[in-house]
Amino acid sequence: MTHTLDARRALVGGGGALVVVIAAFGVAALFIVLASKNPFDTFAVLFGYTLGNAIGFSEVVVRAIPLTLAGLGLCVAFRANAFNIGADGQIMVGAIVSVALGLALPGWPSYFAVPLSLLAGALAGGLYGALAGHLRARYNASEIIVTIMLNYVALQLLAWMIRGPLQETMAIFPRSDALPPSASLDVIIAGTRIHEGFYIAAAAVALVYLLLNRSALGFAFKVVGLSAPAARYGGLKDRALIVLAMGLSGGLAGLAGSIEIAGVHRRLQDDFAPSYGITAIAVALLARLDARFVPLTALLFGVLHVGSGAMQRQIGIPFPLVWIIQGIVILAFLYLSYMRGRARAITPEAV
Amino acid sequence: MDWIFLIGLLASAVRFTTPVLYAALGETVTQRAGVLNVGIEGIMLVGAFLAVLGAVATGSPWGGLFIAIGAGAILGALHAFFCVILKVDQIVSGIGLIVLGLGLSGFGYRVTIGSSSQLTAVPTFERVDFGPLTGVPGLGPIVFDHHLLVYMALGLALALGWALKRSGLGLSIRAAGEAPEAADAAGVEVNRLRFLCTMFGGALAAMGGAYLSIAALSGFVENMVAGRGFIAIACVVFGRWNPLGVMAAVFFFGLAEALQIRLQTAAPDIPYQFFVMIPYALAILALVLVAGRAKAPSALRIPFITGRHARSRAHRHKEDTL
Amino acid sequence: MPAMTAPILSLTGITKRYPGVVANDGVSLSLQAGEVLGLLGENGAGKSTLMNILSGLATPDEGEIVLGGATMRFHAPKDALEAGIGMVHQHFRLVPTLSALENIALGDPRHTRGRLRLRPLKARLEALASELNLSVPLDTPVGALDIGSQQRIEILKALAREPRILILDEPTAVLAEDERDGLFRVVKRLAARRVAVILISHRLDDVFGACDRAVVLRQGRVAGEGRVADLSREALVRLMVGGDVAAPSRSAEHAIGAPLIEVENLTVRFGRGDRRLEDVGFTLRAGEILGLAGVEGNGQHELIDAITGLAEPASGRVKHLYARPGDARLSALRAAGLAFVPEDRHARAMVPALSLSDNVLLTRLREPAFRRHGLVDRRAALALTTSLIERFNIMAPGAGAPIGTLSGGNQQKLVLARELSTEPRVLIAAQPTRGLDVRTVAFVQERLLERRDAGVGILLVSSDLAELWALADRIMVVANGRLKGPIAVAESSFAEIGHWMSGS
Repeated sequence: MTHTLDARRALVGGGGALVVVIAAFGVAALFIVLASKNPFDTFAVLFGYTLGNAIGFSEVVVRAIPLTLAGLGLCVAFRANAFNIGADGQIMVGAIVSVALGLALPGWPSYFAVPLSLLAGALAGGLYGALAGHLRARYNASEIIVTIMLNYVALQLLAWMIRGPLQETMAIFPRSDALPPSASLDVIIAGTRIHEGFYIAAAAVALVYLLLNRSALGFAFKVVGLSAPAARYGGLKDRALIVLAMGLSGGLAGLAGSIEIAGVHRRLQDDFAPSYGITAIAVALLARLDARFVPLTALLFGVLHVGSGAMQRQIGIPFPLVWIIQGIVILAFLYLSYMRGRARAITPEAV
Repeated sequence: MDWIFLIGLLASAVRFTTPVLYAALGETVTQRAGVLNVGIEGIMLVGAFLAVLGAVATGSPWGGLFIAIGAGAILGALHAFFCVILKVDQIVSGIGLIVLGLGLSGFGYRVTIGSSSQLTAVPTFERVDFGPLTGVPGLGPIVFDHHLLVYMALGLALALGWALKRSGLGLSIRAAGEAPEAADAAGVEVNRLRFLCTMFGGALAAMGGAYLSIAALSGFVENMVAGRGFIAIACVVFGRWNPLGVMAAVFFFGLAEALQIRLQTAAPDIPYQFFVMIPYALAILALVLVAGRAKAPSALRIPFITGRHARSRAHRHKEDTL
Repeated sequence: MPAMTAPILSLTGITKRYPGVVANDGVSLSLQAGEVLGLLGENGAGKSTLMNILSGLATPDEGEIVLGGATMRFHAPKDALEAGIGMVHQHFRLVPTLSALENIALGDPRHTRGRLRLRPLKARLEALASELNLSVPLDTPVGALDIGSQQRIEILKALAREPRILILDEPTAVLAEDERDGLFRVVKRLAARRVAVILISHRLDDVFGACDRAVVLRQGRVAGEGRVADLSREALVRLMVGGDVAAPSRSAEHAIGAPLIEVENLTVRFGRGDRRLEDVGFTLRAGEILGLAGVEGNGQHELIDAITGLAEPASGRVKHLYARPGDARLSALRAAGLAFVPEDRHARAMVPALSLSDNVLLTRLREPAFRRHGLVDRRAALALTTSLIERFNIMAPGAGAPIGTLSGGNQQKLVLARELSTEPRVLIAAQPTRGLDVRTVAFVQERLLERRDAGVGILLVSSDLAELWALADRIMVVANGRLKGPIAVAESSFAEIGHWMSGS
């Protein structure tokens, strides 16, 4: 008994996340074999392309920037037990608003236009998230379903925008005009695409860490997430907290979308952030909702996303393998949390 | 609005209803037993893909259907393993299923049928031949011009409505979702029942997916379920966890879907994206209007641990899950 | 009196260990057909564990259960039911949305194989009910019925399976006096039909009112047993508590001061089926303990929520005279000097997964003492918690341990310590001693009296009349949707208030 407990404790300690990742790659290997390919070659391509050279790695960092921001947002919501599955929609809405504003402010100096358009994007994403939070707090409408439905609404909104009001002046492709340089984020390492959004993401990590682990608001989120009745008893406004958590969560996603456009694509287009929102769920869960680990897990999923292109080209392993790995990461994480609960259950509940 | 328009609308509404109805009926049973499965979207995708693969492999749509159902039951069992046996968070497990289903179906499709350069012929279900009845004006296209799976879905709704209300098993399922400790004390094996109901829900979700790929269409398209799994969950709430109410809710959404497609061509001045949004917006509206008042099964999402007092419901060990 | 034949049930050396606790330690007892056995003991003595073992909710680590000559091992409630053991749980195991008929059919293969067959069951139940004189509405959802009816349904449910042994777990805890007499009559009729009955209780009146024989458990062991006719109250009490327990000392003289809370014409809704507690009015003064008595589930919970600002009353007013008028939210009242120990410790008063010190922060988060540079000052919270652990003698590994790992008594001590640590002027305490062991009960009661003497106004809610009788200066009672009293303890009698509680 004690023996297994010790083993469990070891397993669920620092090495837990590693075990989850190994399990996920193990399952992925199985599917690669099923597809009659060699898993070792595949993983060699995956990691060689992304970690084996500076340019590949810089692309991973570029990808990790929005994943970090959106993942941080999900940490906030999940702490408060609000299941925001709508980061994708919030990313899109944020990007739409920030591009609209960025295009509308051509003559403005960049120290003004950039923060303003990014903040507008964050605000839009925040309102989009807070809407779902409000519907949950006020009408008890499941935020899971609502945020997913809002994803589909945002998808259509984006499709219309780049074929309608925001379509490029030439009106050929479904995309917006390019943002003026004054409304774009500059590249910070020449020869790569790593942009100023890196600093914003780094600052966000610190701020979200302080918010969740040190501030009164973070404590309130945690209490309301664990027990809404206890929160009310403690004098906390549980409903307002849910709306606020969803708003902050959506705000960070909206910021991620705005930065992705302002730093990478420079113009609005279909599929500019393919399923970042869903990936961000795995990012947040694997980091165990701890802001400090989010950049690391974001890098990991950045590797998967960037490397999947090479996997597909060189080995013929299709992109959805990344989904399988992400799904397994989520389920393996759950199994780990079960083991963790086991290891902690020391005292009987009732005698 | 003329008759032809209305008849066409109702006939296609019935077709749009069917896949969501299977998923929603399965989810109804799962939730009535106390388990929430938000991952049925993923299961529908796997069902849609495997139905095609199975139909091609066996040369019969029935083969595809059975393989899809089996896979759905397995994915349901996976969810039940996490929710019923390990008792970890049902929502996170459901999210895992969504992503996994997306991956399994997309990956599987691209390495099998999708990888070949020529089109593979997929054996699909034929519409049921009602002879001259199909030609009856009005009624024919609406009632007598569908696949067998459509009629099976309607029959299933009626059967489940009866079974939940009037059968002993239905009574046990309702008790397991409402007051599991009471059901347990009365000798009902709550966790076993929940496990089986979750498998059943998975099987039906896969059946809904199969309808999409081997009856409504003939082939698989990545992410072809397009949120129908989530609309199904909204319909369970909207239909107040009652199979007949759920059927009505799903039909309402089928009608909305059929209508929005027709409106796209009827009103070309309005960007079509706004019509596409309609069912999703309606789902949100439905939740807002109904969810506050509808009473979910009391023990939904709460794992059952035998031998505990009812009061320990209050402190679900949330931290264990996140 | 049953003749001494081979026992229908005998337990030998039953031992059940939970990590850190031996809940049952070599318990042996036997039971004759037609006998009513009283199983007595304090909270935590091991009665519930023993009964969980008998009803298949727990399996013993050691020991043997012999039922009707055969050795049994129950893995699930189903096994015990099939062996002929019926159980009426203290916390009813009824599905509130189902009718009595459906609840009784549930899990019974005779009525639930395939189609539900309720009609023959109804006929059978009506016969059984009239034979035992148990009147029960069979077709109404049980959630809409009063507690007494729910208990009769539980009994009928157990009897419908035709058990050889019927276990009643604390059946009188939720009943008023006259309902209790009705229950005892049913028990006697069952015994006459050769059903063996085990009546679990911590109340001596139950033993003398209904039992042939009594077994006393203390700390998981059998402390003594005997025929009820041969036992005295004093002897039973000594067996239960393992010695004499001094009643908390009442200081005779204490000054009653200014009014703190005035409740006027307050009406609250409670329970399923929209029951109401109407037109409540009273004044709580500084330096008194005002007791609120009543059988549980008569609207006390909702009344307290309305007073503390956690819920809107249907009508009426609550004036908090110690606080600034206008802001009746709990956080504002707390800042003005209110402390509140709610009855549902697990659901509200604490968050089990959080540490002791975070649970102290739960109600004190807004105070400047726990803020530094806009962030939470966890060190201050830890320091306060550590001192509370010491002052209240809380058995805990440390201020950083999850409170869920503590025993119920220690959890309650921390909740009380936290609430008193703000030096409140008003304390509202609901069922503060429920489920605690004797010594912790005395400890909690002493703290209440101490604060009363220091001038705090205390509203004490309890369903244990004896406790209120020992502590309160005035007592009021809720029953049948109305409030009676308050009446000064000195001007009343125990019997009179007991009578009020039964609603007559």
